[in-house]
Amino acid sequence: MLTEYLSEETMHHVDSVESWQEGIRLASRPLLEKGVIEESYVEAMITSVNENGPYIVLKDYFALPHAKAGEGVNEVGMALLTLNEPVDLAGNPVKVFLVLAAVDSSAHLEALSEISELLIDDESYETILSGDLNDINKLITEGDD
Amino acid sequence: MYKFLAVCGFGVGSSMVLKMSIEKAAKDRGIDCEVENTDLSSAKGSSADAIFTSQELGDDLKGSTKAPVYPIQRYMDKEEVGKALDEFLETKK
Repeated sequence: MLTEYLSEETMHHVDSVESWQEGIRLASRPLLEKGVIEESYVEAMITSVNENGPYIVLKDYFALPHAKAGEGVNEVGMALLTLNEPVDLAGNPVKVFLVLAAVDSSAHLEALSEISELLIDDESYETILSGDLNDINKLITEGDD
Repeated sequence: MYKFLAVCGFGVGSSMVLKMSIEKAAKDRGIDCEVENTDLSSAKGSSADAIFTSQELGDDLKGSTKAPVYPIQRYMDKEEVGKALDEFLETKK
């Protein structure tokens, strides 16, 4: 369930960030504070973009930073950061970072497929891009009904 | 039935999303297929009818697999994934 991971604690909105690296770091902060992930995981997500390319940008303006399951990850977690101003990620503008921390290849799949369904739907995709955390919260709560 | 691989660096996040996009696009086209998501190193040893992945990982894979590799830029773009599927089907005619 998405609401298990995304809450007021793990969702944030800021006007802009200096770089996509800062975006990933800022988005990850709640998970670091809760001990869900370690600092090494944050760096691994950044390294992955540098080494493997920007495929974490799944759709225009939406990025899903993640790295290897279980390495620097203590439990399954997700955290969301939305921006007013898009930031460049290797040629791709990004307004939403959804950090994904997985412990194995299955425990996070239900939540991931829920978020994918939301992104595929044009209307809910627009809501997510709007960056309005109240609307996003409503969206994911409705999805869980 | 075709066997497709959806590949990302770690096999847990983006490749899962790509798998869903491929399944949707395949369903729209009435293609019978099985899609597996996996990480780059496992993909190198597996056999499949086609592999879908990013440009960067695709370049890395091409040397180590016999399966045709289709680069996808936006894993969640059903149209782009559909185009790649059409290209693959074209080769099967």
